[in-house]
Amino acid sequence: MRVWIGVLLLIFTSVLPVWAEPEEIERKGCRDCHRFSSKETQAVRGPDLFYAGDKFRENWLKEFLQSPTVIRKVGYITDPGFPSGKPEVGQPHSVLTEEESARVSTFLMTLHLPDFETGKVDDVPLSKGVRAQAKMLFERNFGCIACHEALNLVGKVRGGVSGPTLVNSGLRLKSDWIFHWLKTPEKFLSKGRMPVFDMGDETAIRITKYVLSIRTKQ
Amino acid sequence: MMNQLMILRKVAGIAKGFRILPEVTVLLVFVVLSGCGSESPTQQAKSPEMVPAIPNVPAPAADVSQVTEETRQVYQWYCTQCHGEEGHGNGVNAPHLVVPPRDHTKAGYLETRSDEQLFGAIKLGGLAVGRAPCMPAWGHTFDDKTIQSLVSYIRELCDCQAL
Ligand code: HEC
Ligand code: HEC
Ligand code: HEC
Repeated sequence: MRVWIGVLLLIFTSVLPVWAEPEEIERKGCRDCHRFSSKETQAVRGPDLFYAGDKFRENWLKEFLQSPTVIRKVGYITDPGFPSGKPEVGQPHSVLTEEESARVSTFLMTLHLPDFETGKVDDVPLSKGVRAQAKMLFERNFGCIACHEALNLVGKVRGGVSGPTLVNSGLRLKSDWIFHWLKTPEKFLSKGRMPVFDMGDETAIRITKYVLSIRTKQ
Repeated sequence: MMNQLMILRKVAGIAKGFRILPEVTVLLVFVVLSGCGSESPTQQAKSPEMVPAIPNVPAPAADVSQVTEETRQVYQWYCTQCHGEEGHGNGVNAPHLVVPPRDHTKAGYLETRSDEQLFGAIKLGGLAVGRAPCMPAWGHTFDDKTIQSLVSYIRELCDCQAL
């Protein structure tokens, strides 16, 4: 019995470093801007990361932390320069080395909301007809394009900039996360600048799949 | 194309629901066909001023809510994205939209709109009231009282009343 407990302990402690917070987060001052737990109360100057494991695709995270790109052209919603379109915080963003980024990404992918439901959106892409319908929802019925960049028929970027760009967001965001964001944004953000929509599951799935399909050809 | 037709029929149905005049339904259909991202410059020429949309939205006419500090904050947090910090219609999204966001300081236009019409546009969004779809619907973000106070605030910005 005692031997088994010993073995278990050994396994746990050898696994622990993966789950523990990497020292880069303190050293690089990531907490000056981001929250890694919903219980943290510091001023939020960048997007919350305490549900990063539900939101992001790991490959994108690894890449972003090494060579950050601009997702929010006018800054995060709390940026003092947001209303005038001149962001003051986090652009350019802190950069990590490949190893640091791998450690931090692995850690970030362990951060989840306790009641986050997966399996809401399947992997089957929209048929051509349904996609055209979903594009209508995105551009006309809900006016998403007024605040978010997407691609037009010839692949040119167009759309508003107050929301994060949705171009290539399928490489960045998990489908279930987009779905839940559209249905219950308050679970992730107590007060965003995006309107709350009242859409059924079917509509939310269609729009999610449409968002995932906004991709530039490489 | 089938799908587009279906959506068009649906919108026409909604228009009936609001008892909008048939001409407006035609215009609604037009607006549905034109999107909201800055793509087709031909639509820019179409002046929304000429649309006599009279949607039948339930808005208490006389009892208009007071403008509070919260009203100003709501406007600053949400509406400025398109309407600009002082309501001039020059928010950060404005250069990217086909139809420019309304200048909320312009009495000339806003005098031609009733409080009910402004209330309807904010609550149901541009598309539902014969205006451009880039004006989103805020009816699930704010309660009616907040929307009424936003109408009052816009009246303050334009320093005008419905004629
Ligand atoms: C000075 C403030 C600041 C610091 C310090 C900072 N960030 Fe950020 N971070 C931001 C801002 C602002 C954004 C949004 C950038 C954008 O949208 O273009 C961001 C974006 C991110 C994103 C993408 C999140 C999303 O929702 O798009 C991740 C992941 C991230 N930061 C991780 C980190 C890590 C890890 C560190 C520490 C090594 C760090 N950040 C340090 C401000 C900061
Ligand atoms: C009035 C502007 C506005 C409209 C309209 C709007 N959004 Fe947003 N959206 C935002 C802003 C601003 C954010 C950042 C979070 C916040 O403040 O709520 C956001 C966040 C998002 C995110 C999360 C992105 C991230 O990386 O965090 C997604 C996905 C999204 N919106 C999709 C949509 C879709 C789909 C629609 C239409 C159904 C839509 N948005 C309509 C402004 C808008
Ligand atoms: C995503 C951009 C966007 C945001 C955010 C936005 N608006 Fe608008 N709004 C527009 C556009 C574009 C028009 C012009 C529509 C037209 O003329 O067809 C408009 C028009 C209006 C009108 C005039 C309607 C009419 O009868 O002509 C009112 C009133 C209005 N907005 C109020 C608001 C309020 C209040 C908010 C914040 C809660 C807000 N808007 C947020 C884009 C926006």
